[in-house]
Parts: sequence; structure tokens; C-alpha cells
Amino acid sequence: MARYAMVTDLRKCVACHACTAACNVAWGVPPGHARTHVHVTPLAGTFPNLSSSPYVAQCNHCEHPPCVEPCPSGATSQDADGVVRVDKGVCIGCGFCVAACPYEARFINPADRKVDKCDFCSPRIARGELPACVTTCTANAKHFGDLEDSSSEVHRMVFAEGARRVESATIAVAPNVYYLGKPEHLDLVVASFPPRPPRLLAAGRTWRSLVRPLVLAAVGATFLGQAIAFFVQLGKGEKDFED
Amino acid sequence: MRTDAIPTQPVPLTADEAEAMLQRQVKKHHVAIILLHWFNAYVWLFELVTGLAIISSPLFRVVPGWYITIVEGFFGSRANMLTAHIVVGLAWIFVFLVYGIFGHRTYLAGEILRKEIVLDRDDVRWLIVRVKTILGLTREPLPPQGNYNAGQKLFAVSVYMMIPVIMLTGLVMTFRLFSPQVVGWAVVLHFAAVGGVVAGLIIHFYMGTVFPEEKPAFFSMITGNVNELHVYRHHFKWWRDVKLAEREWARTREGVVSELEATTASDPKPAPPGA
Repeated sequence: MARYAMVTDLRKCVACHACTAACNVAWGVPPGHARTHVHVTPLAGTFPNLSSSPYVAQCNHCEHPPCVEPCPSGATSQDADGVVRVDKGVCIGCGFCVAACPYEARFINPADRKVDKCDFCSPRIARGELPACVTTCTANAKHFGDLEDSSSEVHRMVFAEGARRVESATIAVAPNVYYLGKPEHLDLVVASFPPRPPRLLAAGRTWRSLVRPLVLAAVGATFLGQAIAFFVQLGKGEKDFED
Repeated sequence: MRTDAIPTQPVPLTADEAEAMLQRQVKKHHVAIILLHWFNAYVWLFELVTGLAIISSPLFRVVPGWYITIVEGFFGSRANMLTAHIVVGLAWIFVFLVYGIFGHRTYLAGEILRKEIVLDRDDVRWLIVRVKTILGLTREPLPPQGNYNAGQKLFAVSVYMMIPVIMLTGLVMTFRLFSPQVVGWAVVLHFAAVGGVVAGLIIHFYMGTVFPEEKPAFFSMITGNVNELHVYRHHFKWWRDVKLAEREWARTREGVVSELEATTASDPKPAPPGA
């Protein structure tokens, strides 16, 4: 099975937003929303030794995706090829996964009010094409391929050229999106756009720690009560009831 | 006088009286109620089975994974299962809406609802004695009850409170109304309300199908009738109401008959109209 990954070479990226535009066109993403976001870090250092780096954020298709567990209906899942997918037929638009994503990669699409995000252009991959952002990238900074294929471009970039994941000491969920660049630039990217801790919404917390125990206790108590009543009844034995 | 013939408290019956009562049937449920009850029962069965399988998140689920796999397998995919849950739920809302619109005067009038849900002093005592007798702690007779006993009333109260919550939250989730935050809370409320009903439903199911004393009540949900002895023993206040109404009707009929006889006696051949 494949293990799909994307490598963005930040040394080549010119922050032109062509990837985002191509993605929006390919998947009809409504205005004001996007599946990829092009950022530029604030300036670091002192004049004249200033530095800055572009950064392209998107769904990282993490090895340990924090968005899968909170989905109540099981609409979000991880495929065998590592792609984290949303089944729109199952999504109810509750936003639990949006709060869980450390990279803010998910959003509620106003067109269908269901969750939306990058799926590595799965339908295009299935046709043997590359993702829209990769084919469109004006500087050829984006690369896509199979990490398990040792002859692939991304394999070389990750294992030979040292492409890095955007992770912090506390939030390490093993993204399958990697970045190439000067070490100080990559440090700057991680410092400027650190992954945030996954959140469980108040509704989810209430459900988990209050409502579920209460419901289980109530249903369990009545079931137990009826079970006791049943055995008391059995103990009393058959009796003729006139009515 | 027949007024004295209707006791205000249950009195011991002779074998002949009991046998006669056993043969007489009293109407308990309208056919519309019977149909609605069984429609509702099948909907609940289907929605509970699929609903439990829909909640697959390990953070929230209440059933093991293999249960989810089996139920999902029946539908082929999670999306089909969710769609089936939604379609049946919407049909349920629709049927209840139709029932509410066409039957509100018959089934949802204030007086009738009061009879179904308001607990009086006897009802509170009944609840205590009922639990004690089931557990074999007392042989005290149960206080007299109306059309519905206190347990049924309590269940009705919880159902009347939870059903609108289940319906509204279901609609919110189906059409993803308002905002994702509202949908998120709707999921939780939907689960909580169903849980509240199911806790009562277990008792309702036990009383209806297993508990021997309520056997006639189970069959009344099929035939619509219960025998008079059951009404006398378990719903004495209702039995009294029925008797009072019967006497009232008999009196009215007697009055009409004697009035009719009086008029026909004085004028055996009434003049043809227009004469």
C-alpha cells in the first residue's frame, strides 16, 4: 500500500497563492474559504540580517490524526494509503473535527454546511494525475508521491534531503506533509505557525464526561431494577390471575 | 337507587360478579392510537439500532465496535445507514405531525393530557406501594388509579418532554441548521433525550410484555379493549367514571323514552307537516 506524502520546497516557494487558486477552482471551494493557505512569516533578525519564509499550510494527513476520534458519526477516517478523508454522506457538520485539528486545516463549507479540507486530490490521484496544487505551482516547489516507493521524489526529499514536518515539542502527530528549506527558515516557520493543542468542544466534553455517564447510569439502573423485579417474579412462581 | 350501586372505594367482589366483569369489555384505545403505538414502536426499534451504530467515535460511543460493523454491514455503508436513520426519523416526525393536526382535539386536548400526566396523592402513594409489592416487601393493596396509573403518567411526562427535543435536534442535525456549534449541541441533546426515554422504555417494555398483572393491558394495544375486571382491579377511578357515565346515559335515554311515550300517548297520529 502506498503512503502518500507532499513536500513543499520553501526555498522555491514565492508565496504566489497559485496553489490555493488552483485548488479552489478544482474543487469549487466557496470564496472566503480555502483548503490551502499561503502564509509568510514575520521578519526575524535585525537589519540588515533579516529573514522570512513563506509557508503553505494544508491538511497534513497526519499518521496520528487528532480529527478522527472526535467525529461522532465516523465521517472522518484514515485510509490505508494515509489519506485522511471526510465522507460527506456521513458528516453532520458538528465541527468537532475542526476544533481538533492542530493545523486549522478544516472548515465548514457554507455550500453544504459540512466539513471540508484537502484530500490530496484523491479523485485526481485515482485517475493517475497529480494534485491540482502540485501541477499548478509556478515555482515547482510542491512535490507529491509515495513515501514507500524508494525511487520517488518525495522519498528522496524526506529521507536524503531532510525535509521536515511542522511539529512542536508537545504537538507531534506525524504529518505526511513535509517542508524543505534552510534550517533557520524552517525554525522560523515552526515558531511562527506552531500547531495548537487539539480541542474538544464544550458540547463534546459535556457529552463525554457528563451526558454519557448519566445516560448509561439511568438506563443501567432501570434495566437492573427490572431484572431484579423479573427474578422476584420468577421466585414467586406462576400464579393464576383471574383478570 | 342505582346511585348507591356504584361504590366509591373498591369492594370485594363475589365470584359471579368477577366472572361477569371478566366477560364484559371496556374500550381503552382508539384504533388510531393502536396504529400509532405500533408504528412508533417499530420506528424506535429501527432508530435505536441504527442510532447506536452511528455514534462510532471512541470518545462517545456506547456499543462495542463489532456491533457497529454488523449494523453498518446491513446497509452497505455508513452513509446509507445514516440516510436510513434520517429518512425513518423524518417519516416519524411527519406521522406525528399529521396525528397532531388532525387529532389534537381528541388526543391532545388539555383535559385529556391532564388525565394522562398529572399525578395526584393516590398516584404518589401508588408509586411507592407498586415498587414495594414487586419486590415482595408489602401486601398492601394499590391505591385506586384513573385511566393511566402513576407509572404510565411518569413515563408520559418524560416522553412528552423528550419527543420534541428528539425531533428538533434531529432536524437540526439533518439540515445542519443555525451553526456548527448548534449542531454540535444537538448531537448531545439528541443522545441525552433518547437516553432519558430509553430508561423509561425498559420499564414500559417489561410491564407490557413480561409482567403478568398487566397482561390485559398488552392485549388492549391490539384489540383496543380490556375486560372490566382488569379496569376494576387496576384502574378503579376509571371504572367508576365509566359506570357514572353509563348511568347518566341510561337516565337520559329513559327520560327521552318516557317523554316520547308521553307525546305518542296524547297524540297518537301527529298531524302531517304543513297541515
